[in-house]
Amino acid sequence: MLRYAGSVLPIRPKSGLFGLHLTTSKNIVEMVEEREATPLERDRILREDSVGRVDRRREGGELQLITYRFRNFRLIRYLVNWGRMASLFPVHLTTACCSVEFAATHSSRYDPERFGWLPATGSLRQSDVVVVEGTVTSKMAQRVRLIYDQMPDPKWVIAMGACAISGGLYAKDSYNVIQGIDDIVPVDVYVPGCPPRPETLFEGILLLREKILYGRAL
Amino acid sequence: MSTTIEALADDLSAKFGQAIKSKIVDKKIVKIEVGREDITAVAKYLRDNMGWDHVKAVTAIDLSRATKKEDRLEVIYHLGTYSRADCWGLDLAISCRVEKASPRMTSLTDIWPSCEFHEREAFEMFGIVFENHPNLKRLLLPDYWSDIPPLLKDYQPPGR
Repeated sequence: MLRYAGSVLPIRPKSGLFGLHLTTSKNIVEMVEEREATPLERDRILREDSVGRVDRRREGGELQLITYRFRNFRLIRYLVNWGRMASLFPVHLTTACCSVEFAATHSSRYDPERFGWLPATGSLRQSDVVVVEGTVTSKMAQRVRLIYDQMPDPKWVIAMGACAISGGLYAKDSYNVIQGIDDIVPVDVYVPGCPPRPETLFEGILLLREKILYGRAL
Repeated sequence: MSTTIEALADDLSAKFGQAIKSKIVDKKIVKIEVGREDITAVAKYLRDNMGWDHVKAVTAIDLSRATKKEDRLEVIYHLGTYSRADCWGLDLAISCRVEKASPRMTSLTDIWPSCEFHEREAFEMFGIVFENHPNLKRLLLPDYWSDIPPLLKDYQPPGR
């Protein structure tokens, strides 16, 4: 029932391009293109539904339609999103030095668990949100994408630190650093800093909660 | 400048004489440059008779855009010692210049086994082929790398 409930658009547009040297990796390119709608499919959806309802899928027939309408009642949607917002399982994925601040955010001084941000001790397949902590090299990019693909569907990404946002210190003249992880995964919240203070990451977590609950940051 | 380092530099000059092409003596480092045909003999002598028993690092420099331009690569071995207490804080560097068009170098893995991984790194980052190396293949770069070695000055990063 909750299969399509999370994402506003099941067909997410790919934002950005790969680094040049990544296009030679066939697996990665295939993995990304898998999530894009083909032009044919897009045209079919546009024809059968309307422009404003591209996100609606009618493959499941009447039952699907009923559940779709049911969970789109404003109260139901609010309650579902409230539940999601209040129990976020992050993935423990450490790529660089921002993980120190990530660990400090989890300490008892800041205690994000009171806002439903649970300890990062679960399986990938039970997780909701991945915090990409810092620099992502082209070798690590494959693993980040694999991890993202293994997570079940309502899922969110926080890009933490300047390197994850835009390459940071390694922008423009590095042979192996991804210039911003929005090349490989869709990002919901950008947390700036080098590295961000725990307060900054905390602000990002609160923004993500708002985004989950209302569909946008207030 | 300590007396130890001057004594070390004098020892090296007295022993190798003609083989040394250039020599730099600084506060804590002596660097000598030798030709490729001499480097095995020099290294063996340094290990057996002067107590330089391990390699700290193997690096290379692309000299094509240095102040004094030269179409060659310089391979530098930084040596260290455990057995000579007077040289513990010092660094002895031996270097060798090879042609940039087809860089080939004699591997010193037989003399100091610890330079195996360092030479592999120099191989992938500068394209220097070390002859008689036991396992000369990629170490850090991804498998799908198809560009020129990234630390050469000719390399253009993809950017964004």
